[in-house]
Amino acid sequence: MFDLIAVQYSWLIPLLPLVGAVIAGFFGAKLLKQQSHWPIWIGVGLSALLSLSLLLGIADHQAHQPLTNGEYHPAPSDNAISKKWFTWILAGGDSSVYHTYGAEGHDVAKADGTKNPLAPFIVEAGAWIDQLTVVMLAVVTGIGLLITIFAAGYMKGETGYFRFFAYLGLFIFAMVCLVMANNFVMLYLGWEGVGLCSYLLIGYYYEKPAAREAAKKAFLVNRIGDFGFALGIMLTYLAFGTVSYFGNGAGTFTGALELATVTSHMSHFQSQAMAWIPFLLMLGAFGKSAQFPLYVWLPDAMEGPTPVSALIHAATMVTAGVYMIVRCGTLFVGNAPAMTTVAIVGAFTAIFAATIALRQFDLKKVFAYSTISQLGFMFVAVGVLAPVAGIFHLITHAFFKALLFLSSGVVMHAMAGELDMRKFSGLKKMLPKTRWLMLIGCLALSGCPFVSGFFSKDEIVGAAWAHSKPLGAVMLFTAFLTAYYTFRLYFQVFEGPEVLPSAPESADGHSSADSHDHGHHDEHHDHEPAIMVLPLIALAIGALLAGYLNWPGEQLGHFLHNSPSIALSQEVANKTYGDSNVNQVSFGGRETEEHSTNYLMIVSGLIALSGIGLAYQMHLKNRTAPEKLARQFSGITRLLEGKYWVDEVYQNAIVEPIRRLGRAFFMVDQIVINGLVWMLGFIPRACGFTLRQTTQRGYLQGYAATMIFGIAIILMIIFW
Amino acid sequence: MELLALQHYLVVGAILFGLGLIGFMTRRNLIVMFLCTELMFQGVAINLIAFSRYWADFRGQTFTIMLLVIAAAEASLALGMVVLLFRQKGTLDAEAWRELRG
Amino acid sequence: MGSELLISLNTLMAITLPAATPGTVMHPLLVLVLCLAAGIGTVLTLPGKRETSWAKIGGVIALATGVIFAALLAHHLADVGRGGMGPYFWIFSFLAVFGAFRVVTHRRPVYSALYFVLTVMASAGLFVLLWAEFMAAALVVIYAGAILVTYVFVIMLASQAQTPAPGGKSNMGSLSAVTDYDTVSRDPLVASLIGFALMGMLLFVILDQSAGAIPPTVTPPKITDHYDSSVQELGRYLMTDQLVNLELAGLILTIAMMGAIIISRRRIVSTESGPVLLETEQAEVIAAMGIEQTGGSDPDSIPVYGTDNAAVKAYPER
Repeated sequence: MFDLIAVQYSWLIPLLPLVGAVIAGFFGAKLLKQQSHWPIWIGVGLSALLSLSLLLGIADHQAHQPLTNGEYHPAPSDNAISKKWFTWILAGGDSSVYHTYGAEGHDVAKADGTKNPLAPFIVEAGAWIDQLTVVMLAVVTGIGLLITIFAAGYMKGETGYFRFFAYLGLFIFAMVCLVMANNFVMLYLGWEGVGLCSYLLIGYYYEKPAAREAAKKAFLVNRIGDFGFALGIMLTYLAFGTVSYFGNGAGTFTGALELATVTSHMSHFQSQAMAWIPFLLMLGAFGKSAQFPLYVWLPDAMEGPTPVSALIHAATMVTAGVYMIVRCGTLFVGNAPAMTTVAIVGAFTAIFAATIALRQFDLKKVFAYSTISQLGFMFVAVGVLAPVAGIFHLITHAFFKALLFLSSGVVMHAMAGELDMRKFSGLKKMLPKTRWLMLIGCLALSGCPFVSGFFSKDEIVGAAWAHSKPLGAVMLFTAFLTAYYTFRLYFQVFEGPEVLPSAPESADGHSSADSHDHGHHDEHHDHEPAIMVLPLIALAIGALLAGYLNWPGEQLGHFLHNSPSIALSQEVANKTYGDSNVNQVSFGGRETEEHSTNYLMIVSGLIALSGIGLAYQMHLKNRTAPEKLARQFSGITRLLEGKYWVDEVYQNAIVEPIRRLGRAFFMVDQIVINGLVWMLGFIPRACGFTLRQTTQRGYLQGYAATMIFGIAIILMIIFW
Repeated sequence: MELLALQHYLVVGAILFGLGLIGFMTRRNLIVMFLCTELMFQGVAINLIAFSRYWADFRGQTFTIMLLVIAAAEASLALGMVVLLFRQKGTLDAEAWRELRG
Repeated sequence: MGSELLISLNTLMAITLPAATPGTVMHPLLVLVLCLAAGIGTVLTLPGKRETSWAKIGGVIALATGVIFAALLAHHLADVGRGGMGPYFWIFSFLAVFGAFRVVTHRRPVYSALYFVLTVMASAGLFVLLWAEFMAAALVVIYAGAILVTYVFVIMLASQAQTPAPGGKSNMGSLSAVTDYDTVSRDPLVASLIGFALMGMLLFVILDQSAGAIPPTVTPPKITDHYDSSVQELGRYLMTDQLVNLELAGLILTIAMMGAIIISRRRIVSTESGPVLLETEQAEVIAAMGIEQTGGSDPDSIPVYGTDNAAVKAYPER
């Protein structure tokens, strides 16, 4: 596979967006101005082309593999490549013994798990190209490209236009690094990079204090997760002597992910580490993918411009956690408590966020909580040993969530910054194209039958149900809630009598309103310019059809199965839980039995439709009903509207004490340290003053007295 | 002359010197201040002559002659300057001249 | 003459005080105590704003201290041997110290000058005892005759200039006026403390350490009692061995004289009514007389009284 051009030039995939970002950043202010999107379009576009060619190339290559038993079992090394770009970090150890992995006698990590004491710490920058990677790459760059096209129309006229696109390019670069990384350190680089870009982009409207606070919050909460993540990486290195995923290649057992499968030859320390690594790594996943308790940043992150919400907080960045867990499947799967934790946290977050979304009135906030909830679904999938389902849902979710966010952006533009759905209604006449597109997105999100979200969500629910009935029930209920609040939003905003907001420019009263440069709202203004609609159409097509990636033939699953990450985790799962207890299909493997969950599909379809029906009842037929119901259950309503007061708890239990501590330290700094410094300046002046007052009075006789006194003392010293 | 007798003369010289010193530091009248410096000269002269006698050397007396010469020169110049200072301020008070205070 | 008293005093000292270094004339502690007493006495006697009775008490204390000191010295001398220390030494020393004391403590400057004359005379006497007759004569002639007379002249000049004779009083009114700065002395305590500290140190050195300062191995040459006239000897010595120094001394005197003249120059302007001595404050008078002020333009020149040198920078006033 090395002969693929895309593989040879794989380093271009992250580089091109970076170069675009640099050009936009440096030349955008004075030179490019409102044309700053071009470097990014070109960079991301070429990157997307390369990713696509990579995907097609690998698929093609795979298709030409010889089949055995009706299925191909190629050697893992044949289908996945570690393409080294350059040696990034080479530290410590005896560098004279540095050779590539696997060289005789100089293994960094030997097969028996002990670390070669002479080995230096090596991190090579390079790409790990396997099926999982190319799928993620296609999603990231493809959807990224669509969103950058949309953003050029959305952000038109903004003062910091170039800044936006530069950051966007930087983000794509970081995300690609994250996805393509062939070692944990590069993964961490991408991880932090997307966190940084998230901060920069959320705080794009930095003049708004709410935006600044939201950016800080995102960064800090992410940092907490990243701390655990870093600890996990360090523990991995200590245990296996390498941070590389697969070292010289799959099958050579020189990488951490493969070494983790050799449970029989593990030292005591390694098996201990294997018990803890997943928990540490999942902290990072929870932070990045906004699971409980580290989800609080995502709703606030809606302060950023809508394309940012779409790209970063719906399609790509927040999925990094899921991706990481799937990639490092071999570290997680064998650890039953860890998998249980992931599943439970995911499930809890899903239903938790869904309930909050019921009483949110801000368009973007509804979708933000919806994202949190859907990410919970993905985590549940991964936790119940169905990584393929998780990735499948990731893909479909990327499409329809981006579609939904961008459509909200169009609505917001049209409503001149107003996002409170209580303030407007019945926009189907004003925004016809958007209405249809959003409808498609809502159908996908709700899991309406035969639309993409249905298939992916059904797989997850099925896997959860098979794993444990209560879990399945929770997921079903959450699916119901999802359908309900999604269509609550749709019916409220697009259907019904047309109500437009009376005070258009009331942006300051609204917490998540974009600042808006347009002033005119006449009917001649095109609310749906082509540049914004075309990407939406593309996304809508994806939202509709992406479901058929994995249905009915498990094509995606079979494709992904060849990824060493997934294949090896399947082996680990089989070893740990027994062949019969693991659904081989969920790893993309061969179907061992018929889908016993066919009936579950029907049930989830019905649930989705009933959710839609309930929303129709409450928000179209009888619009006063929701408020009456809310007043009836005022306690619950208050709880939901207060978002369970999690933010307040955090603020008072963690933030305020730290602030006070900081203030105390500041006082110490002011009084003690500043005091010392002041004294340093004060003492010479005081001495000078004293000397001046005592010895330099101007009296001649005083001077004489001083001299005589000195002589007397000298005599005393000499003679006594 | 024994050492002992020398010591007595030296004591007298020291007492004179000390008293002159105190007077210089204490009195405010410029002229009396200079008078006390002359007193210090006296003490020194007694010292010198005593040593001259002790060592039977004329150098002590020679030094004393030089001392007298210097004292005379100094007296004339000092008094000239006292007159000048007196003309400036109209008073002989040493405290009037404190412009060099720091 | 009370030697029993002195002997008992000495034995008392020997018993009570720690031993001093051998060869001491007087115990250093004793020197300190005496100096302290004398200091107190001096402080009380110095001109100050207190009643004269205090001054008298102070004088008495100082006197007593001096007498005790002298007695102790004499006693010690009696122990060791006399060596040409007749009673004249004591008389002259006493007169000298007394005169010096009064110079320092008297309120009136004229009296200070006169007491200084007394001191000079006593010193001359001491010089005679020390076989320096020429020096004695020179002292009297130069010091008492020339320098002190000059001092008295200046004192009278200053007194006359500052207080014109008050009408109705005697002509000596200005001289008998006691000015403020004469009656109050500056920091008497501190000055006396320091002065007596130094004096104490000197005395201590002389009395306690001089045995070590001048090692006994070096002995002064034996002086025979028969001596040629020392004046002749001195003259011969000066003119042969110290000729250059002598000439230099003359040069110094000449330069001093020239310096004194230059310093106290005054400008005299000849007008129709005769030469007029100019005062610098009489600017209106000078202007009225139509005399232009000239003073040269050298900023470093010594100002001539009665002229105005614009180039001389005024000393920055505080």
